[in-house]
Amino acid sequence: MPNPILLIAVALGTAFLLGLLEERRRRLAWAISLAALAFLSWVPATWLLALATGQAAPVEILTAGAPPPFAINLRLGLAEAALTLLVNLTGLLTTLYLKDRLLDLGRRAMAVLLVAVMALDGLILTRDLFNLFVFVELTAIATAGLLLLSDDARALAAGFKYLMVAQFISVLLLIGILFAYHAGGTLNLDGLAGAPSVLGAGQGWILEAGGGFAFLLMFVALVAELKPFPANGWALDIYESAHPAFAALFAAASGTAALFAVDKLLTIGGSEWLGAATAIGLATFLIAHLCALPQDNDRRLLGYSSVAQTGLVLVGIGQRDLLGDRYFFVAFGLLAAHAVAKAGLYWLSGLMAERGLSAWAALRGQPWLILAFASFLALLTGLPPFPGFYAKWELIHHLAGADRLAPLGLILLGTLIEAGYLFRWFGYVIKRPPPASAPLPCPIHQALPILVALVGAWGLGWLWGELSGQTQLLLTWPLAFALLFLLLEWLPSWVKNTLAIAGLLAFFAATYDYYDPLRLIFALIFLVGGAIILLAGYATSGQRTGFYPSALLMYAGLAILVLAEDSFQFFAAWELLTIGSYFLILRGQAAEPHALSYLLFSLGGAFLLLTGFALAAQGAPQLALADLGGVPASLSGWVFVLLAIGFMTKTAALGLHVWLPGAHAEAETDVSPMVSGILLKAGLFGLFLLLMHLGRQQLYGIELTHVILWIGALTALFGNLLAAFQEDAKRLLAWSSIGQMGYALFGLALMNHLGWLMALMFVINHYIYKSMLFLSLGGVAKRTGTRDMYRMGGLITLMPLSFIAVLIGIIAISGVPPLSGFGGRWIFYNAILDTEARLPLVILFFAGPIAFLYLFRLIHTVFLGQLKDEHRRVREAPFWILLPQMLFVALLIAFALVPGVALRQVDGYIARFFPDGGLTWDGLSIVSHYGYWNPVSIMLIIGVIFMVVFAWLLFVNRRAQKVKQFNIAFAAERPYRPETTHFAWNFFAPYRKALGFLTLPLATRFWDTLADLLHAAGDLGRRLYTGNGQTYAFHFLAFASGLILWGLGVRP
Amino acid sequence: MSFDWMRIPWSLVTLFIVFNYGLLLNALIAKIAARVGRRHGIPLWQNYVDLIKNYGQRTTISHGVHFYLGPVFRLTGGIGLLLFVPTLYGSAYFANLSFAGDLILALYFVFFGTLGMALGAGESGHPYAALGVSRGLSQVTAAELPFALAVFAVALQYQTLSVTEIVAAQQGGIHHWTLFTNPLAVAAAMLSFLGSMMRPPFDLVLAPQEIPIGPPTEYHSSYLALLQTNRAIFPIAKVVIYMNLFFGGATNWPVFFLKVFLITMVSVVVGVVSPRFRVEQSIRWFLIWAVPIGILAILWV
Amino acid sequence: MPNLTQIALATGFGLILIGFYGALTRRSLLRIILAFTLASTGVNVVIVAIGYMRGRTAPILDEAVTTTTAVGRIIDPLPQALVLTAIVIGLGVTALMLAHAYRLFLRHGTLDIAAFRELKW
Repeated sequence: MPNPILLIAVALGTAFLLGLLEERRRRLAWAISLAALAFLSWVPATWLLALATGQAAPVEILTAGAPPPFAINLRLGLAEAALTLLVNLTGLLTTLYLKDRLLDLGRRAMAVLLVAVMALDGLILTRDLFNLFVFVELTAIATAGLLLLSDDARALAAGFKYLMVAQFISVLLLIGILFAYHAGGTLNLDGLAGAPSVLGAGQGWILEAGGGFAFLLMFVALVAELKPFPANGWALDIYESAHPAFAALFAAASGTAALFAVDKLLTIGGSEWLGAATAIGLATFLIAHLCALPQDNDRRLLGYSSVAQTGLVLVGIGQRDLLGDRYFFVAFGLLAAHAVAKAGLYWLSGLMAERGLSAWAALRGQPWLILAFASFLALLTGLPPFPGFYAKWELIHHLAGADRLAPLGLILLGTLIEAGYLFRWFGYVIKRPPPASAPLPCPIHQALPILVALVGAWGLGWLWGELSGQTQLLLTWPLAFALLFLLLEWLPSWVKNTLAIAGLLAFFAATYDYYDPLRLIFALIFLVGGAIILLAGYATSGQRTGFYPSALLMYAGLAILVLAEDSFQFFAAWELLTIGSYFLILRGQAAEPHALSYLLFSLGGAFLLLTGFALAAQGAPQLALADLGGVPASLSGWVFVLLAIGFMTKTAALGLHVWLPGAHAEAETDVSPMVSGILLKAGLFGLFLLLMHLGRQQLYGIELTHVILWIGALTALFGNLLAAFQEDAKRLLAWSSIGQMGYALFGLALMNHLGWLMALMFVINHYIYKSMLFLSLGGVAKRTGTRDMYRMGGLITLMPLSFIAVLIGIIAISGVPPLSGFGGRWIFYNAILDTEARLPLVILFFAGPIAFLYLFRLIHTVFLGQLKDEHRRVREAPFWILLPQMLFVALLIAFALVPGVALRQVDGYIARFFPDGGLTWDGLSIVSHYGYWNPVSIMLIIGVIFMVVFAWLLFVNRRAQKVKQFNIAFAAERPYRPETTHFAWNFFAPYRKALGFLTLPLATRFWDTLADLLHAAGDLGRRLYTGNGQTYAFHFLAFASGLILWGLGVRP
Repeated sequence: MSFDWMRIPWSLVTLFIVFNYGLLLNALIAKIAARVGRRHGIPLWQNYVDLIKNYGQRTTISHGVHFYLGPVFRLTGGIGLLLFVPTLYGSAYFANLSFAGDLILALYFVFFGTLGMALGAGESGHPYAALGVSRGLSQVTAAELPFALAVFAVALQYQTLSVTEIVAAQQGGIHHWTLFTNPLAVAAAMLSFLGSMMRPPFDLVLAPQEIPIGPPTEYHSSYLALLQTNRAIFPIAKVVIYMNLFFGGATNWPVFFLKVFLITMVSVVVGVVSPRFRVEQSIRWFLIWAVPIGILAILWV
Repeated sequence: MPNLTQIALATGFGLILIGFYGALTRRSLLRIILAFTLASTGVNVVIVAIGYMRGRTAPILDEAVTTTTAVGRIIDPLPQALVLTAIVIGLGVTALMLAHAYRLFLRHGTLDIAAFRELKW
């Protein structure tokens, strides 16, 4: 095993040796630097492997041949090996990336770079306080030196501001170290940590004269290195103006070493300081993310993000007492996630010609760069399967277990804000027009670091999955299958489509035995239903880059969701399906803002779920879903509320629904059925589980299921009402989905047998007819080129199959017998006869007939009436879009005839929870406690009467001449243009006049105002950084004084 | 499953009786309305003549098969509604086909005709057809709400959804009628009744004094004949539901005729002396006056 | 009469405070650098003052202080070593700051720190 002292020696030696080379042998110098850094990466790599597998033990390196405290020693343990590997690897890749610049600047720049890396390594390895100071100063010198050599002249000012603050820091640090020495008698960290005292082992020196004050000074100084709020203006300027590769080094490597220095310091201090560290970290995290919101300079935005993430790791450090032996897992997970992502993002920034966020749209020229960008963003925000996800899960669970709810909430809030601006940026990248300049240059020496970061990100995700003790997400079949499609992107879309359909069906067949009847229904809808909708994918030709990985990611999440047995699997699946569906929705042409709002609401809901699960787990790493019922009564009300709101975000309950109309309407033709027909059911699935296991809950005396009843009723009313007023066909359907989900919520919250049966019937029926309607109208929109209903009309003759699908669909939704919607209504009426909740019922009754309004509007304005001139030649929708619709029509009719097929199984399953009030089957009649219903008879009777009358009419008019539709005359006028004879716009004007006040977009205004407030706060916050170096120095002093005063108050 | 095939002929008998009664009743009501307006009114057999004439006519043009849907759906709706509800209580012959479903079926089947009408009318290409249907739908949806509330209140009161059982619970004297045991529900239902009969003040949808707009304009000859047939059957079928739910049902045909006449007269009496509401006014009227009574009815049960 | 240690400490802290004051209020880059030099000198004085022990002599081994008697007779040599290191580091940082100031002057034509505000918010 190589001696770790080589890490210092080789770096320093190479730096000096470079001076021996001739000035013009720059390539050689660069190659030597690379070689040295490669060696410097290899050393910790071998040590890490050996230490991790247990073949070696942590080693102490004595520098002067004498043991401490007579000489300085270094230590290489598992943490040090990992951290130095990170630092050196970043240094290596940065040197590679900076090839052109370094060749311009010459060997002195390379020497400074090597010294910087060396200083950071020393900072990590050292066990001596003064040595720590020396390396801190060396880092400062090297950093400032590199800034001096930067080609952006603004970096000079940044460098000076940095040096000013560094001077302050060094003064504080030095005084602190000396007082510590005076109090403790040694400069060695282990010596100070182990110093005995009357109060117990360790930290006795703090109680000596001036010891506490010394620690305080050192703490302030080292924490200031971490760019805490407000003393971080200099850091932001460095991030903005330095060369991006250097910024990468600054973020990934310097931040890492500084964090470890604080960690080392805290081992010799008291645990009172952990609270201070947490508080500083939280403030920095939250405020930096807020200030990042209004940024439009990419490097500065990344700078704010770096500052925030460093704050987050500081929070992790501050919780070390709580985390116990999971401390390194959590802290290093957060750290590595930040380092790799930031380095990767800065390296990407170096490829861009302009600094605006929209300029990154140039990434679209190279699809693998989009993958890298997306991976880095996911890594940064802690989405699965990356290490931040596992680390955050553990951290949140420990915080919840110790009842530290304020840090928990603030961390999740900050993460949500971060996800907001990062994915808004992603939307720009995917949607905005690329800058007019030449295609993105991506030379090999710049592509390679990005590639390494990408591979590293996924590799770390795998590693953290292994270390977490939870399910290894990357090895689950669904996710692995989805990721496979990343490699198969080069295939034509029909091949990928076939593979996807086959995969979904095969997975369903393979797991068929694992489902109980309730889960079986959901699995059928998610997997088999998904496969049917994917049939429509054959209508698209070409490669369809990016569609299949996103879609299968969503289906993977859904598949894992149904099979989940503990809260970790459930939550990971939830986030996976959120991400997948976000990417899917983003593909729509005008979908950029809607996809973002969808993502934010979903992530917000997901974080509420996380909190709920963490509270319920009470400190354990995860909770088996079946144990949800065992949550103690003091917590169960809150757990219920959190989980319920989280699930209702997905089903778009009133107040949380503002994302849905835009997202479902703007999505592509075959994506809308997926998200409206299938994805909303995930929320219902969650609610089913919640109510099954937790049952009725109360919070401060309010019966929570009662609240859900009201929410469901109001959602149904407003969903249906607003659907009637839409001019856009897909928005109408989207609002209709909101209304239907309100019905399902209501049924669930009734908490009786028939209510649940009704909710389940809704799940099945809604999937069938909503998918059918979206596909049909998507086909129409494709052929006519518009989604506005008043621009269409009269398409019944040209698109008869689409018409039939819509007709059957609206008959089914309206609940008119004999089709399957009536069954749902019948069950509903029986269900509500049992309940006490009368008032929400009234609202729901109102919602029912209103559905007729929009249903009729849909079919009339699109298919009936007069055909517009520009549509006289449209053809029927593509075959592959029609095929799933016809399948659904057949299913609906079959379901209408024999509803018992599915009902019976489910009825039996629900009887487990609600033994009374079920249905009995009397021959072909379905009998409940109150009434009865015979679907076959109804169908027969109606069919016979209909056929008789129809046949008579046909017979009587068999010799009538068929005339064109325009062959009409009314009120003695002859119409000249179809536009004047097709009544479609503002169809329900009287209703609007009567009830217009109900359509005020209150919820939208609320959320818009909230977003504006956040942006305003961010804008206000960032004005703090005035650009004047003295002001920044002032910030530092204010921070330091504040912390010192607080510290003095704590000390006895 | 055993099915009593004799039900079919007996149902047809019911249909025949009701059909004739409907024709006569409509003429009688038109005569009464005319007399109130100081006119002579049509002769009582006028509807028969109209029907014979229309059935005898043939049409030379057609807008397509879909155009047929309007009258077919309407008539199917009317006949079906009649047959799904037992006409006479206690009679083995005139229970019709009510075994197929209970009150909920009747409630929703009312919309069957409306739906079909809407479809067929739209196909005519006539813009006023759509206007008429959109107005009709708006009004009907607002009018249905108090009725749904009243029906639910009644179902709660009698704890059943079967029409036969509800009628059974009202036997044994006039004071057992829902009219007296649950007056709020009946009040709400009768207010809704005014709306669904499409007489003034809620007759904008079929306003006879205006330039005819809406589906009736475009339908002629055999189509119109079917619609007129339905006009004879459908209102009676609806009144039968009201009678069974709120007024004790009928055990024999004379009582049936009397009760149906009286209930229909309620809307006529209100109609002949009322002007007309605009659609948004009628929506507001229902929401402000009828719905609160319905809510009270539910809460009070 | 305060002893030497206390006077030295007071002087050192005084210098530090003067240095901080200068760095915060002087607008010219050169004065800021000078102020920091003052402050680091003050730090060095403080370090030496902390390291002093009463009645002891310099940590140099010669005929007066042999190896065996050194422990009880010399002051702690460590702080003095630290001061040496700190002086050198201070030199390096000062040199770097001067280099920055020079480059900034070349670019902007002024040494006023308020003029270097291109990077903000």
